[in-house]
Amino acid sequence: MTQKKVCLLGAAGVGKTSLISRFVSSIFSDKYLTTVGVKIDRKTVSIGSEEMSLLLWDIYGQDELQTVRPSYLRGASGYLLVADGTRRATLDTARDLQQTAESVVGNVPFLLLLNKSDLDKEWQVDERSLWKLVEGGWPVVKTSAKSGAGVEEAFVKLARNMAGM
Amino acid sequence: MGNSAAARSEPPSPAGTEASSRFAELRSLLVGPEQRQLRALQARLDDPGTQAREVSEVLPQAVELRTNDPQLTRALGPSIEEGISGLVRRDPRQLADALFPVIMPAIRKAIAATLSGMLESLNRTLEHSLSWQSLQWRITALRTGKSFAEIVLLNTLVYRVEQVFLIHRKSGLLLQHAYAPTRTDRVLGASLTSALGSVQDADLVSGMLTAIRDFVQDSFRVSEHESLDTLQVGELSVWIEQGPHAILAAVIRGTAPSGLRATLQEALETIHAQFGDRLESFTGDSSAFDAAHLVIERCLLSRYMTESKRRPPFLPIIATAVLIAFGVWAFMTWQSRARWNRYIESLRAEPGVVVVSAERTGGRYVVSGLRDPLARNPATLLSSHGLDARQVDGRWQLYQALDPSLVLARARELLHPPDGVALQLAGSVLTASGTAPVDWIDDAVRIARAVPGVTRFDSGNVIDNSAKALAREIEAAALLFTKGTSTLTAGGDDALSKQIERFRMLDRLARAADRRFKVDVIGEADADGPPESNLPLSRRRADRVRAALAAERFERIEIAADGIGSSQAARANSTDDEKQRNRRVSFRVTEAVRPGGSTAR
Repeated sequence: MTQKKVCLLGAAGVGKTSLISRFVSSIFSDKYLTTVGVKIDRKTVSIGSEEMSLLLWDIYGQDELQTVRPSYLRGASGYLLVADGTRRATLDTARDLQQTAESVVGNVPFLLLLNKSDLDKEWQVDERSLWKLVEGGWPVVKTSAKSGAGVEEAFVKLARNMAGM
Repeated sequence: MGNSAAARSEPPSPAGTEASSRFAELRSLLVGPEQRQLRALQARLDDPGTQAREVSEVLPQAVELRTNDPQLTRALGPSIEEGISGLVRRDPRQLADALFPVIMPAIRKAIAATLSGMLESLNRTLEHSLSWQSLQWRITALRTGKSFAEIVLLNTLVYRVEQVFLIHRKSGLLLQHAYAPTRTDRVLGASLTSALGSVQDADLVSGMLTAIRDFVQDSFRVSEHESLDTLQVGELSVWIEQGPHAILAAVIRGTAPSGLRATLQEALETIHAQFGDRLESFTGDSSAFDAAHLVIERCLLSRYMTESKRRPPFLPIIATAVLIAFGVWAFMTWQSRARWNRYIESLRAEPGVVVVSAERTGGRYVVSGLRDPLARNPATLLSSHGLDARQVDGRWQLYQALDPSLVLARARELLHPPDGVALQLAGSVLTASGTAPVDWIDDAVRIARAVPGVTRFDSGNVIDNSAKALAREIEAAALLFTKGTSTLTAGGDDALSKQIERFRMLDRLARAADRRFKVDVIGEADADGPPESNLPLSRRRADRVRAALAAERFERIEIAADGIGSSQAARANSTDDEKQRNRRVSFRVTEAVRPGGSTAR
């Protein structure tokens, strides 16, 4: 079974840990996030008849006090940029992180996950902005860690991209 | 050249043109091939690419021919140096990767040499230790030909490499994982289950290990070649060896020898040598490294204390027997010494015994000191303390102790008090109580003062009692007379002699006690005759006895005689026996007035 290192990047509080905690197998507690700054979990996805093991590096959310350690990105075959649809500023953080990731790992597949899609009333990212991102070559998936909507599809889509399909 | 110039200045005539054509044709026929060869040669010489290819074909042979030529070395040196310097400046990792398989054995050799020096130093240090175990290890070192320090390490270090992770350095993905089934696993056949379980988590552990390494490296801002190489958690430690493209992490329980690190490095070098290209182009398919499993499996080393000690089976038995024998000997020695100490303590507490020294000499116990002959014999105490008299020498000097019990015992031995006499000692005053013969009292008064520890002998009580007893005997012994006379009845003389003897003893008692007694001799008659004749008769009887007593001249007894007639006699109608008992002389003993005044009976 092929293994791939996948990093989850995003501003603090966008729901990265929530996104994976319900859908992956884990042996480490969340305290690693605040101590080492990263927690690693596994997510196995099926791509056709093949299975792919995604080693998900849940990297501590970037904020004013802490930036993502580039060393954690090394060797990643892909990454998920996570933004909070109810906080537009997190989209800017995602843009910054994308540049950081690209400088470290190069042009590898990635997805932008606009999380908290279940909170329609508080949604701040308009369709026009989204369209601009898509036009710029950013694949975007709306997800909800709460309901699970879009989560599985996002993992599968990234896996397919990493497999060159 | 001249023809060419003419051709450029004048147009050729038809005849000339034809001639020229023919000449050219002739020339082509005659030297055409050579011309073509010349043109080809010209082209080769003018084409740098062709020249380079041709030179490259002969260059190795040419260099080989001039290998030992210093001129060639000097000519190539600057270019090579410049090239290497440029390479190092541009990408030092490339050179490091290239040198890795070469330089690591050299480093390992240097480390081994350093360790060897350390072992020698340790050896010298341990040579000064003289424990029993170090002596055993020294013997083993001599027997096996290994250094003493090696034997020490073999006997003290117990470890087991439980897991080995081969990790892709860049991505942190697990390439291979090997684990050592525990002894319990082997016994239960649970290795397969454990292996599956371990592999499932090993991917995450591998990633986390990489993250922690990165975290440490980032946090302390060390160079790329310096990294976390050891993690220690309780008795578990993780040794990490880093290569250009892969990392080997060994989870070790216990304390492993430093040589294990060389084993890990060797395995990592082998993996880089065999899978270098695949490591560089790794995209996530770890099956390409299945063959590396055998390499990392060789790192699952372990050493158990029981496995390292191949002792002959009889050695533990002998050792146990020696230990038991030693234990028994130590216990018996301790017990014997404890008995001896208790014996000495009891001797010290014994009256009349003074212990001056107690020691163990030549396997025998020797006690010496002073001993009163009347004290308990120290030898008799041996058995009560569980000691064998044959093992103990008692060296005693006799002396007379002044312990009250011994003074009393000595007084008893010297005075031999008769039955009915008790001796007591209060301080230095010996007191006799009870009733004793006059002879004994006489002797006791004389001897008691000579008993060591006795300053005064109080015989008052025994004299009182003896005097009272004697007085009772005297008063009970009446003398009987024949009817109407002052003549004693048959056997009366013997009775009188016995009474006189009692008076003598009383006199002696009085002398011994410095006292005086008065004895009233009272004559009586029966009531058969008239009172006016009975009274004189009774007085005669009393005088008769008094005269006999007075003849003895007692110093401390006053004797008075008188008659009371028949005033106390039985009636006329009494029997003859009763009347005979009235014809008598009786005695009444009283103590005479002392100089102090009082009179006692």
